Amino acid sequence: MTKFLKDINLKGKVAVVSGATKGIGRSTAIALHQVGASIIAIGRNINELKSLKKKLRIRIQSIECDVNNYEKLSKAINKIKKIDILVNNAGTNLPEPFLKVKKTSLETLLEVNTKSAFNLAKLCTDKMLKLKNRKKVGGSIINTSSMFGLVAGPNRTVYSMTKFGIEGLTKGMAIDLAKFNIRVNSVCPTFVATPRATKYLADKAFKKYALSNIPLGRIATESDVATAITFLSSSASSMITGTNIIIDGGWTAK
Amino acid sequence: MFKKIDLKNKTALVTGAGKGLGRACAIALAEAGAKVIIISRTLSDLKKVEKIIKKTKGSSIKYECDVTDLNKFENVLKKIKRLDILVNNAGNNRPEHFTKVKKENMEYLVELNMKAAFNVSQICAQKMVKFKSRKKIGGSIINMSSQLGRVGAPIRSVYNMTKFGLEGLTRGMAVELAKYNIRVNSVCPTFVETPMVKVFFRNKKFKKQVLENIPLGRVAQENDVSTAVAFLAADSSNSITGTSLMVDGGWTAK
Repeated sequence: MTKFLKDINLKGKVAVVSGATKGIGRSTAIALHQVGASIIAIGRNINELKSLKKKLRIRIQSIECDVNNYEKLSKAINKIKKIDILVNNAGTNLPEPFLKVKKTSLETLLEVNTKSAFNLAKLCTDKMLKLKNRKKVGGSIINTSSMFGLVAGPNRTVYSMTKFGIEGLTKGMAIDLAKFNIRVNSVCPTFVATPRATKYLADKAFKKYALSNIPLGRIATESDVATAITFLSSSASSMITGTNIIIDGGWTAK
Repeated sequence: MFKKIDLKNKTALVTGAGKGLGRACAIALAEAGAKVIIISRTLSDLKKVEKIIKKTKGSSIKYECDVTDLNKFENVLKKIKRLDILVNNAGNNRPEHFTKVKKENMEYLVELNMKAAFNVSQICAQKMVKFKSRKKIGGSIINMSSQLGRVGAPIRSVYNMTKFGLEGLTRGMAVELAKYNIRVNSVCPTFVETPMVKVFFRNKKFKKQVLENIPLGRVAQENDVSTAVAFLAADSSNSITGTSLMVDGGWTAK
């Protein structure tokens, strides 16, 4: 008899996680590891990478690299033997009102959130396709998007532009990679209790704005997002591609 | 940091539980540890489902009830002490070209896919909010929608109307029930190998058309959908409400 509840088990799978030293990336690396995956953590901060390695102990390698550094990133990815899962997570935000967006902010966000996300996805896909039985075993790429990949918010024009872009990239990649049985999806969280969002939420007015827009009345936790990413990584979601899991407590349902 | 799909101590009600997706969902939720109340018009089907759940050491209670019979459904609910999860699944399809849709078929589909879906979820939500610690332990309602709740398709105008409607209901309910910590989401499968779809697939030309539209090149299996439903039913998806999980192999990404 067919099992009607598919297991979430990543034993034997290798997962690359970018932006793995903090927040959603770090929690996701831990979650994927918990269900059996080997982790390749990419981050800029050597001490934070060491701390993650110390926590996971086994099945963890780290790559100290800024995802914007294409040469270095490309070399590092090429050295990896096998990749089954990519959590394309590195990203940032520089909130500014549209009329005051600095040229440098625009360039930084396009560089990290858009170009580097594309490049890492491409480098990892090339590697994923090297595996002979890819079509049989499948593969999964999860882009960390945002509810601001679906709707806009104040001071977030550039961020929304980059995250709407990620939503488009997700769908396009899903169609091009389906024939190799590589699934591509995104997660779209609302504000999450990460180090970055905690800074925003320290502002009382901002916190009020955030909570009053979330019907569930709470911000998301890192493990809410890490769990959804883990679900999308595993064969439990083997018919899910080209879409997103919106983890926003109802923000975009309004 | 990964939240397992665990439904221990939860009671779930599944409509249309005698066959196809409803049956699969009932079995999956029982596998995850929930006590499952199974509802169908056909007692003999329920008996078979009950047997399978028993075999897997799960727990279920069956009620023979047509969900379009509001009074009867209300009486069923009176017998239930507590309800944490609803899988609002009962539904049907009668494919006809728009210009040839029979009045009685349109009325039948509106009655079942919309009116009964609304009534069932209202009655169940009323029961769910009565539970004192609801806000603390949460609740989850999953509406069985379809990819055709998102995009149109030939000879599906009425089905499209009802499933787009269900997508609207999902969002509206999510916004209103959030304050009770009851989450409401839908799943939107592509064609699934259910008894209903197997009949459509006897038409080879139709099957070919379907597969051409699914980038992953395969139809979904019942357990692709039941696992997604279990994920939405459990605390694994704690911050997810008012959205839909597409299980469509990329159909709507195109």
